[in-house]
Amino acid sequence: MRVITIFIAILSGFAVLGGYFLGGFFPVLKDIQAQILNAAITLMGVAALTGIFNLISVHTEKIRQGKKGGVYSALLIISLVLTFLLGIILRPEHIAMIAVMNSVIIPVEGALMGILTISLLYAAIRLLRRRVDVLSLSFLITTIIVLFTLSLPFGDPPLLGDIARWWSQIFALGGIRGILIGVALGSLTTGLRVLFGADRPYGGR
Amino acid sequence: MMLSPELINLITGGLGFLFTLLIFSYMLGDNPLFRIAVYIFIGVSSGYIAAIAWWQVIMPRLVYPLISAITSASMLNLGVLSSIIIAALLILMKASPHLTGVGRIVMAFLVGVGSAVALAGALIGTLIPQILATINAFDTNASSLNNLDPEMLINAAFVLAGTALTLAYFHFGARPKADGSLHRLALIEIMAWSGRIFIGVALGAVFAGVYAAALTAFIERISSLINFITGFLGNFL
Repeated sequence: MRVITIFIAILSGFAVLGGYFLGGFFPVLKDIQAQILNAAITLMGVAALTGIFNLISVHTEKIRQGKKGGVYSALLIISLVLTFLLGIILRPEHIAMIAVMNSVIIPVEGALMGILTISLLYAAIRLLRRRVDVLSLSFLITTIIVLFTLSLPFGDPPLLGDIARWWSQIFALGGIRGILIGVALGSLTTGLRVLFGADRPYGGR
Repeated sequence: MMLSPELINLITGGLGFLFTLLIFSYMLGDNPLFRIAVYIFIGVSSGYIAAIAWWQVIMPRLVYPLISAITSASMLNLGVLSSIIIAALLILMKASPHLTGVGRIVMAFLVGVGSAVALAGALIGTLIPQILATINAFDTNASSLNNLDPEMLINAAFVLAGTALTLAYFHFGARPKADGSLHRLALIEIMAWSGRIFIGVALGAVFAGVYAAALTAFIERISSLINFITGFLGNFL
């Protein structure tokens, strides 16, 4: 079983990579890649449904065992099943589903994002109290410069605005580009480790 | 029974008002009202995602093509779709703790495809464009075409230095010293220290962007609360 799963992961991975890098020379590789990606998207949809089914089963078990917070789990399951049935019967573009979106999902997301304002402020104050070094100081100076100079309602102040703009666009760009390249190198290495069978996150030792 | 658009707007606005207040109650600390709102939010979002997955992925990519393949008796399409259906059933087995091993084959396929897409995306979408953007700023042909001034060259050099120093910070290769302790080379250590400044500045700029977005969302929610109250009271006054 272990050998089969490794073989499938490597084969499917290299078939997709072949489409990306050799598709120009061998058009058939592009077709194979498209078929594989289509199948993967469909299976991702099924995997999403399986994950949601697992969420229901975990919370049903919580209610059945009478664990603490069972009332919340009941609310979760009721709202999940009702929304799903409504979506299946009426389709997601129906006015009722849009109303669900506008009355629950968007307000809660917006309010959670709003609460982040206070959490982030608290985190920034804690950072300054706990750790005063070159990294935290450059972090806080940049935050203050960007927030208090480039976000003023009456436009940028003459000289300070230019300095702040240079600071946030040129100075920050070097670091952001370095971090992006670092993340890309990390993704590249992780992808290669999976494709060569060194890492097997799908199971099997 | 058909609800009028005004009534739908009132119900939607009322629920939005209620959920915003429940979430904002977290400012007083973790409490049951906040938890009720969050659990309902997770339930509704999951149900919505499941409905979207059903109507926008499973039906158009699996069910409709299957019906079409059966009616047109296309054996090739039927074979391909049957294999996807079998794979889908194997994934569904993962929901049961006893049968989770059966779905491993399909998970291996998804992980293989996902790794390849991530690898190609990292290479084509990030690594090559970012490196080219850093190099192209020094391209003499491009600079003569665009009348690149010395200030832009200095800026480009600064960005290049920032990129290199940031990457140097993540270089953790070390050599053992005579006393057995591990240390990076002195040059790398100096570069890494300078890289910390660039990382701090980059994270600060990102943090400021996120904070500005959060502040905008906060103001929008407060504004929606006020609008709902004034609109609601306007019906009675």
